Amino acid sequence: MTHGSYNPYENAQSQFDRVAEIIGLDEATRVLLRQPMKEYHFTIPVHMDDGSTKVFNGYRMQHNDARGPAKGGIRFHPQETVDTIRALSMWMTWKCAVVDIPLGGGKGGIICDPRNLTENEQERLCRGWVRQLAKNVGPFIDVPAPDVMTNGKHMLWMLDEFELIHGGRFPGFITGKPVGMGGSLGRTEATGYGLIYTVREALKSFAMRIENTSASIQGFGNVAQYAAKLYQELGGTVVAVSSWDNTDKKAYTFRKKSGLDIPALFSITDPFGSIDKNKAGDLGCEILPEDAWIEEEVDILIPAALENQITLENVGKISKQVLLIAEGANGPINTDADEIIRKSGMFVIPDFLANAGGVTCSYFEQVQSNANYYWEKDEVLQKLDAQMTSAFKAVKETAKKHDLYMRDAAYVISINRVAQAVKMRGWV
Amino acid sequence: MNDRESSNEYLLDNLKERAKELNCLYQVDEILNNQRLSLPEIFRELIRIIPSGWQFPEVCKARIVYDNNSYHTPGFRSSQYSTVANIKPNGKVVGQVEVVYISEVIKSEEGYFLEKELKLIRTIADRIGHTILQRYIEPVLREWNLSKGQQPYEGRAPISEWKVIVDLVSRTDRSMLLHICRKMINYLCLSGIKEAEEVLWDFGTDSRDFFEQGELNYPSEKFPLGNLVSICEKTFRIASNHLSDAEIWIRLKNWIQEEKAYPLIKAVERLDASVKEIVKVITRYSYSIGDSNISYSPMGHWLVVALTRRFLSEKLEFINIARQHIEISDFYDVVSHLIFPEGSHGKIGGKGAGLFMAQQILAKASEDMPILQSVKVPKTWYITTDEIKEFLHYNNLEELNIQKYKEFFEIRIDYPNIIQLMKNCEFPEGIVKSLSMALDDFGDCPLIVRSSSLLEDQMGAAFSGKYKSLFLANQGSKQQRLEALMDAIGEVYASLYSPDSIQYRSERALLDFQEEMGIMIQEVVGNRVGPYFLPLYAGVAFSNNEFRWSPRIKREDGLIRLVMGLGTRAVDRVGDDFPVLVSPGQPGLRVNTIPEEIKRYSPKKLDVINLERNSFETIEISALLKEYGHMISNVQQIISIYTPEYVKKPLAFDIDFEQDDLVVTFDGLIKDTSFIKQIDIIQSILKEKLGTPVDIEFASDGDNFYLLQCRPQSFSSDTAPAAIPKDLSPREIIFSARRYISNGTIQDISHIVYVDPEGYNGLHKLDDLAKVGKAVGMLNYLLPRKRFVLMGPGRWGSRGDIKLGVQVSYSDINNTAALIEIARKKSNYVPELSFGTHFFQDLVESNIRYLPLYPDDKDIIFNEIFLRRTDSILEQILPEFGYLEDVIRVIDIPATCYGNVLKISMNADLEEALAYLAAPSGETTLKYNEISKTPKAFQPSESYTDDRFWRWRYYMAERIAERLDMEHFGVKGFYVIGSTNNGTAGPGSDIDVLIHFHGKQQQHEELLHWLKGWSLCLAEMNYLKTGYSSEGLLDVHIVTDEDIAKKTSFAVKIGALTDPAHPLKLKM
Repeated sequence: MTHGSYNPYENAQSQFDRVAEIIGLDEATRVLLRQPMKEYHFTIPVHMDDGSTKVFNGYRMQHNDARGPAKGGIRFHPQETVDTIRALSMWMTWKCAVVDIPLGGGKGGIICDPRNLTENEQERLCRGWVRQLAKNVGPFIDVPAPDVMTNGKHMLWMLDEFELIHGGRFPGFITGKPVGMGGSLGRTEATGYGLIYTVREALKSFAMRIENTSASIQGFGNVAQYAAKLYQELGGTVVAVSSWDNTDKKAYTFRKKSGLDIPALFSITDPFGSIDKNKAGDLGCEILPEDAWIEEEVDILIPAALENQITLENVGKISKQVLLIAEGANGPINTDADEIIRKSGMFVIPDFLANAGGVTCSYFEQVQSNANYYWEKDEVLQKLDAQMTSAFKAVKETAKKHDLYMRDAAYVISINRVAQAVKMRGWV
Repeated sequence: MNDRESSNEYLLDNLKERAKELNCLYQVDEILNNQRLSLPEIFRELIRIIPSGWQFPEVCKARIVYDNNSYHTPGFRSSQYSTVANIKPNGKVVGQVEVVYISEVIKSEEGYFLEKELKLIRTIADRIGHTILQRYIEPVLREWNLSKGQQPYEGRAPISEWKVIVDLVSRTDRSMLLHICRKMINYLCLSGIKEAEEVLWDFGTDSRDFFEQGELNYPSEKFPLGNLVSICEKTFRIASNHLSDAEIWIRLKNWIQEEKAYPLIKAVERLDASVKEIVKVITRYSYSIGDSNISYSPMGHWLVVALTRRFLSEKLEFINIARQHIEISDFYDVVSHLIFPEGSHGKIGGKGAGLFMAQQILAKASEDMPILQSVKVPKTWYITTDEIKEFLHYNNLEELNIQKYKEFFEIRIDYPNIIQLMKNCEFPEGIVKSLSMALDDFGDCPLIVRSSSLLEDQMGAAFSGKYKSLFLANQGSKQQRLEALMDAIGEVYASLYSPDSIQYRSERALLDFQEEMGIMIQEVVGNRVGPYFLPLYAGVAFSNNEFRWSPRIKREDGLIRLVMGLGTRAVDRVGDDFPVLVSPGQPGLRVNTIPEEIKRYSPKKLDVINLERNSFETIEISALLKEYGHMISNVQQIISIYTPEYVKKPLAFDIDFEQDDLVVTFDGLIKDTSFIKQIDIIQSILKEKLGTPVDIEFASDGDNFYLLQCRPQSFSSDTAPAAIPKDLSPREIIFSARRYISNGTIQDISHIVYVDPEGYNGLHKLDDLAKVGKAVGMLNYLLPRKRFVLMGPGRWGSRGDIKLGVQVSYSDINNTAALIEIARKKSNYVPELSFGTHFFQDLVESNIRYLPLYPDDKDIIFNEIFLRRTDSILEQILPEFGYLEDVIRVIDIPATCYGNVLKISMNADLEEALAYLAAPSGETTLKYNEISKTPKAFQPSESYTDDRFWRWRYYMAERIAERLDMEHFGVKGFYVIGSTNNGTAGPGSDIDVLIHFHGKQQQHEELLHWLKGWSLCLAEMNYLKTGYSSEGLLDVHIVTDEDIAKKTSFAVKIGALTDPAHPLKLKM
């Protein structure tokens, strides 16, 4: 690694160190938790379609499994670095802990560019990865999932190879499987709904009725759509959403002060979350510039598009009326802006809590697979609600008790849970 | 009521007549087929029967004359009411059949004899001739079969096949006998057989004398021809003594065929022979020769060449290839589907010829390659290229020929009128008849009327898309269909006078060429689905892949652009949609691999013919599948079921058209059928045989594969292989590249945006890395469009790990001319590049070039000193990103390199690219890529050598400024920015004006209103000049004092260092 350049692992470690300081963790626990417990580095030889053989590098990092089997994705990445995987595996530990699901953190990957591999080659690569790790992963050891450039197709190949080696059916080995092949219902809704469950709880804690609140949402992709839908169903008023316009190659904010009709908006949205500008006009929407969503006089802002959206330049435009920001996307508020928001006293539901609905649903998939019994969608969503609600309450409680910023509180609670687990097991 | 009854009666009468005729013909056949009857007996029977087939049998008598004998019905006598048909068993008249009325009968409109009756007598004569021939041949055949049966074992000398042939010929055709005798004797003499020379004497020639005397200057003596039969006997006796039976047999066969080809040769050779005459002799030749062919003899070659020249092309390269692959019989199909004016000397045109050649090449190749046997060409009728002359003449429109020399705006104003004029023209009667015949042949299947002009034949000149091709639903009554067809032909003819095609020809110095427009009327491939008619899939395939998305794909792996429905969407870049791209050499390597991308870049719309509305339509694929998906056969080959975690190739049974999220992927077609292999083989064979990379159009109805077009892979000017200069000093070179090069030239680059790999890698804050992407996005907006290139480390647009490359989305780079990725060696490995995969299809559709650089390779020049040390203007244009100046460098090339610009020459054949400083090309070139804005007028690659586009824009902007009432509108300043300002405006450019405004809302509205009028007016002017239509030509940007103070939005242009806004003088 070049000296001085951005290193995600160092970033994750320094973040951990800061929280460890707040909690007052002992040295041994700090050393244990600031790096992965197990790392696997291995090679995967693959026979290519043209008859040649290419050797790929594969990895699996199990950061911590004190609270349960490690859980985390497998990335196909052409310039994957060990430090990135380490950082991400650590992040998984905290994420599982904050929603209080009995899983640890892991991450894996293969250095490759799937765009340069045929499907057959990708299949051999997936099977090769499993062969090298078959003894060290499994439904009760480490449960992989799809990540960057991998999807259900890869998961099924991996599952099949795993089952071949172990002689049986173990659908709980891996998540992200297609519905009908061991996947869980409710996956599409999980993140967006989970987000609104936490928003609902936050409003309750302010003693506000959701019916009397309004929200402005950045983005209209999967997360934003389901968040908007549930929020409106619960009685809230969505005043504005922003959405990417693929023809104009820029985003617009669609606003209707009396409240957008979300189902109507769905009907004029293409599969990629672009709202039809002209038809939106017919629905009575005002079409405003891209950044307008942040200036709305609403109670709730939900940035659910990309990272780094609220910055020093636009943080000042946030209306005084805004009480709550729920981070639907990963890292939508950059560090400098976060400082300002923290000082302003605005309530933030941090990303790894607000969008933990996804990982929670993966956990449910694993539970269902292990039991070989699959739930109806309603049941999945109900359980998701319960899980997110109690997770939020715990973080809120901690924040209140120790007078912490929500983001810090979330880290504190998750690191604390993991620390407790390693201690109770007598590891440190 | 009365009318109706009488018309019914008329019908009934008609039917009765037909029944009588048929009955007669049956009886005639029965007699002729009766083997026990001798010929005279047959004739006697026939004369008895024949009168019954005529309208008035009581007064009808028949006579057959054959072999100096006459057979007739009692009471036969010569009469003025008579009709005769000749009996020609072998093309020679040997007798006749005559039918007479012995007293006057009622004369109908058609004459004394009905048209059907005339046909009947001809048919009877033909059948008699056939029977006579058969009677001749039978004994010979019997003998032949006998000898064949005994040949192998009995040890007896077999009666050789050739003897049978000689015998047959001597009985039936004396001129043929003479011909083959002569040939044989000459052949024997040439083989040095002395005896043969004596026979030659019998022919009246004595070569010995002839040569001994030397060349004389008086006519040689004429000798009487000896007895043919005895000469013949002598000749073949000698032949059988010296030559093997097999050899004699082969010689004979070839000579006989050649003899049969003589009328053809004579016709083809005659300068004044019209298409009609040639068609006639070819047709006759095809009947007499049948399946056998003489194409491989010198005479065959000669004939093929002559026919090729007459019908296909006079270009030598073309003829040379045709000679190797086309046989005479291949022309049969063309001539039987040819529509031509009286006395025509026309051809079928370039497009038709190209397809014909490809078809023949593939047909020949299919003998060894069964996979090609299923390649078909849709049924096609051709209108010869000179029909348009006849058409113009018929309608007194010859004056249109001068159209091409008119002023351009005149041509444009005229064009809509010409289309209407042509559509309202009458077609000559002959062509109407032929078209009607063609329509009967086609039935009511949809048709496409395609241009096939002489110029479309030019290798190298990509004339594609300049002339029209029109789809016809071809529904309704025959008359309606015929009218629609003529309408379409008129419109295609009119496109000869379209401003775009004339402009294109004038730019390529082809204006003086006597252009003629042929027409192909082709069946549209496809099936009916609900109200629509569409092929299951269609597309274009290129031999050379100039857009490779993976380093594993080689250029010669080819490229297929595949769509559902009509191929129109694959041929043109449509801007708002994507075809599926496949490389036949590497079908497993797909552009998009993750489900979301697969979906995003899948085709969303398709072109169809609506049979109910009689129109061509573009519809949503999802809507079609929902409603009619279950009716489309083999639809599982082209669609997949999408879920966010999985894209599933379905079984036919699996698909729920109502509920499933379906995307067009062609996965089934690519993986489960031989489609890719077939295309790959087609491409490689055509490339090999035609000696050039090709592009083909194809379509399939789900069962069969149809070839629709074939032509050399066109080299538009920006994708032609560029010359790589060798005499440059190292200081002039910015970089060179030798891997994954495609063809093309990128000219007149004024700015380089260079993201320094080391600097980028040295950024340690995530925020800063993201800022680099932001800055690039802003530069993309501020720098002159298509005049700058982006260079940066690793993988542009990487999602996931930002370290891999600058994080940008397509909209952050969409104005660049080229995207260049730099792979610097890191310790011991070279990182893989993205090849632009994150937005690869966007790049392809908007013609942004991609180039990977490997500076650490051997023999590579990478002028790091230039890139890192030349002054950067980043801080001046984007002060807020000034702190990134070590990472992002913006080099204004003309400003720092004495007015020079950057030029990148790329040559895929040499696998070499070079970027160097050069003088501006003098072409105020803009490359127009936004197809949505610029429909068909100019091709993306056009270049213009004058500055007319910006000059008048600038002038008009000045005029507007002069007339603008500053005080009234609250205007403080008026600037020109963008392409009009920097002299790069092209025919479709806006005029960007920047107005410094400090008035009230009311003034603001009035100002915009005032400018709107100008804008509309200018747009109309521009349309007349260029053919680019727009809603308005002015793009007005209003800035306020505050904007200027804060340097927000367009205000940065005022006083900017690069490409600053230019203030215009205002009315005081």
